[in-house]
Amino acid sequence: MQQSSLRSQQRLEAATGYTFIAPQLIGFALFVLAPLVMIFVYSFQQKNLLFGTSEFAGLANYKELFKDDLFWKTMGNTLVFSLGVVPLNLVLSLAIALYVGGGSRGVGFVRSIIFLPAITSGVAWSIVCKYLLQGGDTGPINWFLLHLGLSAHNWLFEKGWAMGSVIVSRVLKNLGMNVLIFIGAVLNMPQDVIEAGKIDGAGHARLFWKIKLPLLMPSVLMVMIVTVIGSMRVFDTIKLMTDGGPEGSTMVMVYYIYHKAFKMFDTGFASTLSIVLFLIVLVLTLLQWSVRKKVSYYEN
Amino acid sequence: MKKMTALLLSACVAMGSLAAQGTKETAPVAPKGPVDIKISTWTSNKDQIAILDSFVREFAQKKGIEIHADFETITFAEYTTKLSLELQGNSAPDAYWVLENTAPAFIASGYMADLTDALQAYDYSDFSQPAMGLWVKNGRTYGVPFSTSPFFVLYNEDLFAKAGQKTPSEMASDGTWTWENFRKTSKAIKDATGVYGFQTVDGGGYDARILHNLIPIVRAYGGDAWDDQGNVKINSKESVAAIKLFHDMVYEDGSVVPPGDQSDFYAGAAAMTVGQVSRVSKLADGSFKWGMAPMPSGSAGSSAVIGQAAIAANAKGKNVGLAKELVAYMTNKDCVARIAGIWPPARKSVLESEGFLSSNKLVTPQQMKTAVAASIKSGRVLPSHIKYPQIEVESKMVWDKLWNKDADVQAICDEVAKVYTKYVK
Repeated sequence: MQQSSLRSQQRLEAATGYTFIAPQLIGFALFVLAPLVMIFVYSFQQKNLLFGTSEFAGLANYKELFKDDLFWKTMGNTLVFSLGVVPLNLVLSLAIALYVGGGSRGVGFVRSIIFLPAITSGVAWSIVCKYLLQGGDTGPINWFLLHLGLSAHNWLFEKGWAMGSVIVSRVLKNLGMNVLIFIGAVLNMPQDVIEAGKIDGAGHARLFWKIKLPLLMPSVLMVMIVTVIGSMRVFDTIKLMTDGGPEGSTMVMVYYIYHKAFKMFDTGFASTLSIVLFLIVLVLTLLQWSVRKKVSYYEN
Repeated sequence: MKKMTALLLSACVAMGSLAAQGTKETAPVAPKGPVDIKISTWTSNKDQIAILDSFVREFAQKKGIEIHADFETITFAEYTTKLSLELQGNSAPDAYWVLENTAPAFIASGYMADLTDALQAYDYSDFSQPAMGLWVKNGRTYGVPFSTSPFFVLYNEDLFAKAGQKTPSEMASDGTWTWENFRKTSKAIKDATGVYGFQTVDGGGYDARILHNLIPIVRAYGGDAWDDQGNVKINSKESVAAIKLFHDMVYEDGSVVPPGDQSDFYAGAAAMTVGQVSRVSKLADGSFKWGMAPMPSGSAGSSAVIGQAAIAANAKGKNVGLAKELVAYMTNKDCVARIAGIWPPARKSVLESEGFLSSNKLVTPQQMKTAVAASIKSGRVLPSHIKYPQIEVESKMVWDKLWNKDADVQAICDEVAKVYTKYVK
C-alpha cells in the first residue's frame, strides 16, 4: 500500500516536472528538431525554393558536394576563420580576465570598454567596423595609419586582408562575454592554493601554467566549445562586412548555405551543406567534450 | 520513443511533400468586409509610397470596398531574396514589384499571376513591344512595367565650376560627351578639387549593381553581357575595352570612388554618379547645384540603358482576383501619368504628352526630354535571364578579381564568360 502511494507520488512529481518543461520541449521540437529532420529530408531532394519544386534525388546532392570546388573552399575559409577567432579570443579574454580579476588599476574602465561591443547588436557592430575599415584615405583606420607613416589598405576588399579584418572584428565583438565568464572563474579560484604556490617560490609564469590555468580549465573548455560553435556559425559579420568577398575569400560555410538556399534557390543542396556542417560541429563538440577529463583536473 | 520518431518523420515528409506541390494560382474569392492588401516594393520614400497608397484608396472607392494597404519596403540588395521567401510563406504580398533581371525566373516560378484577363480594357498598342517583351510569355501577360527608367548622369555643377570643366550637359549639346571625355573630366575634377569624379550607381557598382554599372559603358562600345540568342559577349574585345576604361579610371586615375569607400555623390563627395529619375528626390535639399545629362556615348555611338520594374499580382495570394484588378488599375493611363515624374512609363501616350516633360518639379522639361524621354525611346533593358539569380551569385566571385590594380581584364572577362555560358546557353 505504501509502495503504491510512493509510486503515485513519484508519477505526480514527474508529471509536474514535465508540465514545467513542456513549453521549452514543445518549442524545441517545433523550431529546432522538426526543421532539423526536414533539412535532413530535403538533403536527399532536388529542391528549388523559388519554383517550389522538389523531387527525390537520393545521394546526388552528397555526391555533388564532394565535387564542388566552392564547398572545399568554404570549408577551408571556415577553418581559417575558426583558427583565427578561437585562439585569439581565448588568449585575449583570459589575459584580460586575469588582469581585471586581479583588481589592478583602471579595472572598471577596461571592463566597460571590453564589454561594450558584447552588448551592441551584431549588425551595428559590423556596420561600425565596415566604416572604420573603409579603403583609401577616408577610412578612420587608414587615416590613422597614414598619419603614423604606415601604408593604408583596402581592408575588406583586398584578398590578403579581408579574412584578417573580419576575424579581428569578430574577436572584439565577442571578447566581452568570454571575459565575463573568465572573471567569474578567476574570482572563484581558491586563493589558498595560489598563496601556497607563491610561498613555495613560484613565479608569475609557473603560477599561471601550473596552478591558475588548471584551476580555470573547466571554464576554458566551456568557452572554447561555445567559441568554436559560434565561429562555425558566423553569418552577420560576413554578410554585412564582406558579402563573402573578395573572390569568395571570406565565404564561410554558413554564408555559402545562405547563398545556395536564398540567393540561388537551391534548397536541396543547401540542406546537404547544412547537414555536413551540423555533423562537423557535432564531432568537434564531442571531441572537445571527450578530452575534457584529460586536461581538466579540477571540475565542480 | 520509436513511435514518436516515426510520427515526427512522417509529419516532416508530409510537410515536405505539401511544400513540393509547386505553384498553382489560387481561385479568386469575393471579399467580405475590409480587405488587407500587402504590397512589396523597394522604395522607402514616403512621398512615393503615399502616391501608391492613393491609387489603392481610389481603386477601393471605385470597387465600393474597404482596403487596408500595407506597403512593405525591402532593401534593393535583398529584394529578390526576401520576396522569394515571403512568397513561400504566410506573409506573402498580394502585389509586388519585380526587377527586370529576375522577371523570367519569377514568371517561370508561377508566382506571377496571369493578368491578361484583368487587363482586357488595356490598349496594348500604347505599350511599346520592347517595354512589354519581358513580361509576356506565350501571349499571356504576367507583369505591367510601371517604371521604364533610363540611366543618366547626375552631376554636381559646383564641383565642375570649381575644377573649371565643361559640364556633361554642355558636352552633350556640343557632341563631345563620350566615355573618353567622361574619364578625362573625372580625373580633372579629382586632380583639381580632391573630390572623386565619379561614384557608381548607388555606390553598388562593385557588388549588388555590377552590371548596372558596367553595361552602359559596355553597350556604348558595342559589347554586351549576352544577347537574346544566348551568345555570351562579355569577353568580346568591345566589352573588354569598355571594362578596361572603367578599371583604369579606378586604379590608374584614382578618379572613381573605389571599392570599400563610402564617399557619396548625394553628400557632395563625388562629382558625378549614374541615377534614374526616382533618385532625383535625394537632391531636393539643394545643398549643391546639380544637373543631369544622358549617358556618354562610346565607339558604337550612344546606347541608352533602361532599368525596368513591373508590378505583379501574387498568383498564390489570398486576394489574387482583387490584386490583379488592383495591378491593372495602378498601371492605367491616368495613374501612370501621375507617377511619370518619378517612374517614367512605358506608355507611349504618356511619354509623348506635354505633361510628362513637366511631371517632376525638380527636373526641367529640357532635362526630361534629353536625359529621359529620348533614352526611353532608344534604350535597351538591362540583361535578364531565367537563371539570373545563379548567374549573379556565381559571377560576382569572378568579378571581384577585377577590383585589383594589376587585374588582367581580358582574363577575368573570359572567366566571367565561362560562368555566363554555363547558365545562359
